[in-house]
Amino acid sequence: MKEIDPILEINNLFASIDNLPILKGVSITVFPGEIHAIMGRNGCGKSTLSKIIAGHPSYKITEGNINFSGQKMNTLEPEERAQSGIFLGFQYPIEIPGVSNLEFLRVSTNARRKFLNKEELDTFDFEELVKEKLELVKMDPAFLSRSVNQGFSGGEKKRNEILQMALLEPKIAILDETDSGLDIDALRIVASGIKKISNDQTGIILITHYQRLLDEIKPDYVHVMSDGQIIKTGGSDLALELEKNGYEWTDNLKREIN
Amino acid sequence: MQIIEKIKTNQLIDNPTEIQKICLRKLQLNPLPNIKSELWRLSNKSKFSNFLKFTLNQKNTTYKKPYPINNQEVIRLTIGENSSFQLERKHYSIKTLNKEELVNHIKKDISNFDQNENWSECFNLCLSSEKNILGLKISGREIPPLEILSVASSGALNAKTLIIFVEKNCNIDLLQINLGAENSSLSLATYFCLEENSTVNHGVVSYGEDKAHLLNSLNVVQKSKSEYNLGSLHFKFNYARFEIRIKQIEGDAKTNIKGMQIAKRNEQIATYTKIEFNGPDGFLDQINKSLADDKSHAIFEGSIIVPKIAQKTDASQLSRNLLLSKHAQIDTKPQLEIVADDVKCKHGATISQLNEDELFYMRSRGLTLTEANKLQLSSYFQEIISFIPVSKERWDLLDKLLKEI
Repeated sequence: MKEIDPILEINNLFASIDNLPILKGVSITVFPGEIHAIMGRNGCGKSTLSKIIAGHPSYKITEGNINFSGQKMNTLEPEERAQSGIFLGFQYPIEIPGVSNLEFLRVSTNARRKFLNKEELDTFDFEELVKEKLELVKMDPAFLSRSVNQGFSGGEKKRNEILQMALLEPKIAILDETDSGLDIDALRIVASGIKKISNDQTGIILITHYQRLLDEIKPDYVHVMSDGQIIKTGGSDLALELEKNGYEWTDNLKREIN
Repeated sequence: MQIIEKIKTNQLIDNPTEIQKICLRKLQLNPLPNIKSELWRLSNKSKFSNFLKFTLNQKNTTYKKPYPINNQEVIRLTIGENSSFQLERKHYSIKTLNKEELVNHIKKDISNFDQNENWSECFNLCLSSEKNILGLKISGREIPPLEILSVASSGALNAKTLIIFVEKNCNIDLLQINLGAENSSLSLATYFCLEENSTVNHGVVSYGEDKAHLLNSLNVVQKSKSEYNLGSLHFKFNYARFEIRIKQIEGDAKTNIKGMQIAKRNEQIATYTKIEFNGPDGFLDQINKSLADDKSHAIFEGSIIVPKIAQKTDASQLSRNLLLSKHAQIDTKPQLEIVADDVKCKHGATISQLNEDELFYMRSRGLTLTEANKLQLSSYFQEIISFIPVSKERWDLLDKLLKEI
């Protein structure tokens, strides 16, 4: 039994979209300083889980709870969750033509700072801060003057996500396939950025298909998801086992459970 | 519609000018447009009747500057106040057209008027007194930006006419600001003649008030090698109708149009465009954006006409629309009429709502729904606003728009 309180506690979560059940009883608990990995086949519900934690309005929680820092947040708006310290790194970061990346980052950062009762940053102070954070992901400052994610390569979009994470200083970050679309060097840079941002007060959930990200960021727990349920939880060795045996192995596990 | 009755019975104007006489005669035959025709069928009849309900104001309307004078040198004229104007500088000259030039030009135009298609111009010229017709001839280079105001007055119908001749090799930035007043109607007609190698960057910003009505027509004639760029914005009118007619009379000219209309409450705002190519190698790039919210109605009808003589025409027309309420209505109809067989012409229309994925992305970064909406709309507006030659300090359009939404 841990003495500290969990950051995130998901209990027996059921959720659906357009009356189609996607999550069928998911439970995960993340304590400060922990790194969790969620693995599983495409369509097993990993991304849905991440979106539901972030408050996507299209999904409906039909049963169960999500508690964040001890508070139930099933009905909170996405912005309330983000302001209070939940960060979702998107698998496919959205392009927003016409909206300056720099201004978007500034407005987002100030929304979080306001929640933390910190002074909001003006354009000049923010530029100082963002330059410092750019170093973490080795991102070219030229991307700040473009529209949000517009014309960015896959790798640049992912760096921009981690830059946002660095600026928002979340309590928990759910990174949905942050490793997809990255070459080996970019993966190392992004992984190094994530490690620098996280500390013993924050929690991370990595959603991934591949061991290569977990080679860079060693998880404390690995969860295997299938058909909207977590069917096995283990240590970092579980990811290696999964890499070795493939997802057919999880199908057998599921049959055993059922 | 007292005004129509007065036109019919020839009691509208005491001492009509020659032009007014010609137009009155034309209108007396058919005082109203054919509401069943393609050009008028979507026009809200009751709103159009309201446009016609005011009595004609033949006095001048004055306008107090609402914003501090900016640092940029701007030549500012108000139709009705500056009917005589002359500016001769080392590199350029701007002077008002003399009466004969004006009458000759208008007479030539009227002779080509179609009763239904040009009803708005005909109506305007019936009503515009000599004082309310501003004709300018512009030549030379390094010309400072021009700002031309047309102002409505409450409880009345005002008619203003602007005619501009742009001489060869001349390059101008001209912003037309049309301001509606509460319970008012404004009839406005603008005519541009672009000589060879001239370039006009034209902004039209029409900004109304509660129960303001506007009938705005724009006629542009382009000679070869000329370039006409139009950025337009119409908002906050109970009823507004913007008619654009552009003719590349020899082909081999460039036309770029970026227009936007924003309809809220129960407003109806419409844009009709007709672009004709009368020679080869013409170019057109047009985008028209509409936004309809609440119970409003936005209309776009565009036609591109490419006769056999207009080979190698390169024309594109796109209508993009945002429907923000389930009670709002959008009608859009981009059309091509092509006879020439060696051309590159395309057209298209989209109607969508605010992008849900973009909204969620912004909200997942801590922006409220209202902030995310505003940011998304400002990006939607920005493409058009950045095309309008406008002095930011005086006419901060984006801020005005976002306050409206």
